Amino acid sequence: MAVKFFGQFLVEQGIVTSDALLNAINLQDKNNLKFGEVAVAMGLVTPAEIQRAHNAQMSKDMKLGDLLVEMGFLTLVQMNDIITRQKNTHLYIGEALVQVGALTSETLQKHLDSFKADQAEYVSNAIELPVTSANGKIWETTADLTYKMITRVLGLRFRPGKCTLATTIPPGFMLAAMDMVGDVEARYIISVSYGLQKTIAKAILGEESVDDEPIEVLEDTVMEFVNVVCGNVAAKASQMGVIINIEPPVTLHPPAAGLPIPEGYTALCFPIHIEDGDTMELHLLIKE
Amino acid sequence: MKKVLVVDDSLSVARQLEKIIAESGDFTCVGHAKNGAEAIKMNHTEDPEIICMDMNMPGMDGLTALRTLSVMDKEVKVVMVTSLGGVGDKFTEAIKLGAKNVISKPFEADNVLRILREL
Repeated sequence: MAVKFFGQFLVEQGIVTSDALLNAINLQDKNNLKFGEVAVAMGLVTPAEIQRAHNAQMSKDMKLGDLLVEMGFLTLVQMNDIITRQKNTHLYIGEALVQVGALTSETLQKHLDSFKADQAEYVSNAIELPVTSANGKIWETTADLTYKMITRVLGLRFRPGKCTLATTIPPGFMLAAMDMVGDVEARYIISVSYGLQKTIAKAILGEESVDDEPIEVLEDTVMEFVNVVCGNVAAKASQMGVIINIEPPVTLHPPAAGLPIPEGYTALCFPIHIEDGDTMELHLLIKE
Repeated sequence: MKKVLVVDDSLSVARQLEKIIAESGDFTCVGHAKNGAEAIKMNHTEDPEIICMDMNMPGMDGLTALRTLSVMDKEVKVVMVTSLGGVGDKFTEAIKLGAKNVISKPFEADNVLRILREL
């Protein structure tokens, strides 16, 4: 189980085939018009005006609708009318699957209920951040999913500590990191002790003992844990309309004084107190 | 037994998948590639029936390799095994490129085997 999309859930469960899903996605592609296409279809702007706004987007970080308003091609009322039309005519994947004959209307609701139950454990709980961040909800979700994966993947009981601003990142026994790029830019870092590294390796490899495993395998398991968490963060973010691409995970070997926080970044520290007295730390280096 | 090629830059994930495959009784693992380019080479040398491939790998990533494999080998069945499975556009791209399924991490052995048996 992980954060997923309804179509994926249906294919994974063997309820629909990948071919049926592909037909439904193609139907969605034909039906669900982009903002500019709806605006043109409603006769409110011309394709040439859309092209001018697209060109302007190269140098301005604005949504197409906002730009069309700023450039005087649309009024705010017209922009809202287009958004309403888009929402009212949007074909969801479940409805598309019914239309291509892969599901019936009756079974759709049953599968939606199963999907919601499958995803219930990934509904985010509120976490208090020490600073106001433009993407605060994403960072709260990142910490929350880290906690959930510690429970689900590692099987550990723990108590989350209060999130604080960090001035350096302590060296720790081992640090595994993953860069997030896209609508947000951040580095996700997990710091673990020797004992926690072994605990993570046992959980990821499904082995009773990892005493004979080489260090690269032990480190790889911590990187894989980071990969699983960040992949699920990217999935949750995409459901929230935020694009996050993740880079392959790496290990960090900071000097004894720790890692300094780069200029222009905010560092959040989330201490995670494990039941046996050990502590893991999540650090988020966020470019503001 | 059906031949399966595992493609993942993570040693630990490859180990997990190889163990699941070896203990299944239905499948045999014919190798482990660490990126998309190795996967394409090993698809040629090992001739697997199924490829279980990660999306996010250094060098050639999984979706790029899938794009090449879908042109080069119409017979091989590719299942993506990834922590990015829940990202809507990545999932859709994988299905459009011909992936037969997308398994999200963390995964369970029963689920992986059920999906492989349904191919």
